[in-house]
Amino acid sequence: MIELLQEGFVQRAIVSGIVISIVCGLVSVFVVLRGMSFIGAGISHAAFGGVAIGFITGINPMITAMIYCLAVAVGIDTVGRRSRVSADTAIGVFFASSMALGIVLIGISRRYNTDLFGYLFGSILAISKTEVWIAVIIMAVVVAFVLLFMKELFISAYNEELAKVQGLPVNVLNMLFLTALSVAVVVSIRVVGIVLVSALLVIPGATARLLANNPFSMVAVSCVSGVFSTLLGLVLSLEFDLPPGGTIVLTATVMFFLVFAGKRVREW
Amino acid sequence: MTNTHAIDIRNLTLVYNGREVLRDLSLFLEKGRFLGIVGPNGGGKTSLLKVILGLARPSYGSVHIFGTAPSQLVRSGKIFGYLPQRNEGEQNFPLRAIDVVMMGLYGRIGLFRWPGKKDLMEARKCLEMMGISDLEKAPFETLSGGQQQRVSIARALAGSPAILVLDEPSTGIDSVGQEDFYHLLKGLQKRLGLTVVMVSHDVGSVTSYVDEIACLNKSLHFHGNPLGVFDEDVLAKLYGKSVDLLMHSGGGVCDKCERLRR
Repeated sequence: MIELLQEGFVQRAIVSGIVISIVCGLVSVFVVLRGMSFIGAGISHAAFGGVAIGFITGINPMITAMIYCLAVAVGIDTVGRRSRVSADTAIGVFFASSMALGIVLIGISRRYNTDLFGYLFGSILAISKTEVWIAVIIMAVVVAFVLLFMKELFISAYNEELAKVQGLPVNVLNMLFLTALSVAVVVSIRVVGIVLVSALLVIPGATARLLANNPFSMVAVSCVSGVFSTLLGLVLSLEFDLPPGGTIVLTATVMFFLVFAGKRVREW
Repeated sequence: MTNTHAIDIRNLTLVYNGREVLRDLSLFLEKGRFLGIVGPNGGGKTSLLKVILGLARPSYGSVHIFGTAPSQLVRSGKIFGYLPQRNEGEQNFPLRAIDVVMMGLYGRIGLFRWPGKKDLMEARKCLEMMGISDLEKAPFETLSGGQQQRVSIARALAGSPAILVLDEPSTGIDSVGQEDFYHLLKGLQKRLGLTVVMVSHDVGSVTSYVDEIACLNKSLHFHGNPLGVFDEDVLAKLYGKSVDLLMHSGGGVCDKCERLRR
């Protein structure tokens, strides 16, 4: 293990693991508080369509995925608010159709290669220096956004009308939040893959909800539990030669249930 | 305008999702008065509050709050204290009573600033006004219905509003608690010089505490002295024929409130 830590690819994996855990930990709190766990799943799967657009156009798939996810996030939000269809149904429509678009485009581009596999299931051990830097910059922006607007994000998740009556720019904040959500999805794809990103957007927030008694501490607990389970998962996957993405998500899940059981025992 | 009403609504019609919710409604309320709005479910009570708060735009007619359109006022965020209808979804938040009250200050604190010590003192003062200082650190979800509503009113008061807008504030409070609760509201109105607009489906008890009552079923069927609402014609228009009405303490205005009134 110790020798492994001196390897560059392991160090890059550790740094990017910490970084995306912080980004997802922050976003996760509001995903859980807004009761939009399913939107996280919807947007992350939609990223498949975005990645495929990158394959076929030759543009960096992370960039196309980013733009595509944001468009889907706004689409879901708009259809959910402005029509008779519920947000839940809107997610179902966008989610499935984006996957279908991805399948068709990849069929056309004929690139059934390891690249695709990496996007679907993550490849934390193959992350380049540039990708680590991009993740660090994105983290700085998301952290700044959440710290600056934390109280507004809380109150608009709690009750939008209450926020509007106080003169807070709820619609702008919603858009910024959806952007942060899309950014979180895209940076996490490299680590755990499209299929598992939604877990990072839900589980840390859910664990924090169990432990925290006020919204500000919920943010801290979510980030700490996210970082902890990612690092532990990474170590376990290296030690026992398991797929890192899946191991990280399972570690986070075990932690959630341990906390859940611990609380039960104490209440009992 | 020299004689500015707190609320001045003229010929308001509101069409929402293709359905006419409010029709040709005019209503004036002077500063410092306590208005109760009663009427059947689906009669447009909450919609009227939303127009007053600037959350919904009138389809026809005009609305002025202290002489200004609500959509302009709402950006300042300093006029209204609002208690929305109880929403079960909000129970899923990790909040202590004090956190709930602090939320009422967010507009005042403004963007890019974190709540400070001064804001905390302000929030504590509001809890004290509602007589629940001892609940400061208690998790909101563990409080009784009546305690939760008191905390929520403290939140509405936190921004030192000129107008308090309450949507069914007595939901979740048992009938014994309700009398205390209305007295508390009445006391706040007098002490802070607030204008209060309160929606309720409970005609019987509300009439004893408010200064004016408005009976709303899409349009206004009555507006004036609360005792007038017991007129059979008015009630028949509101709720249909032959209503069983539960009169509150003999149907008169309750003594304590009568004393507060003058």
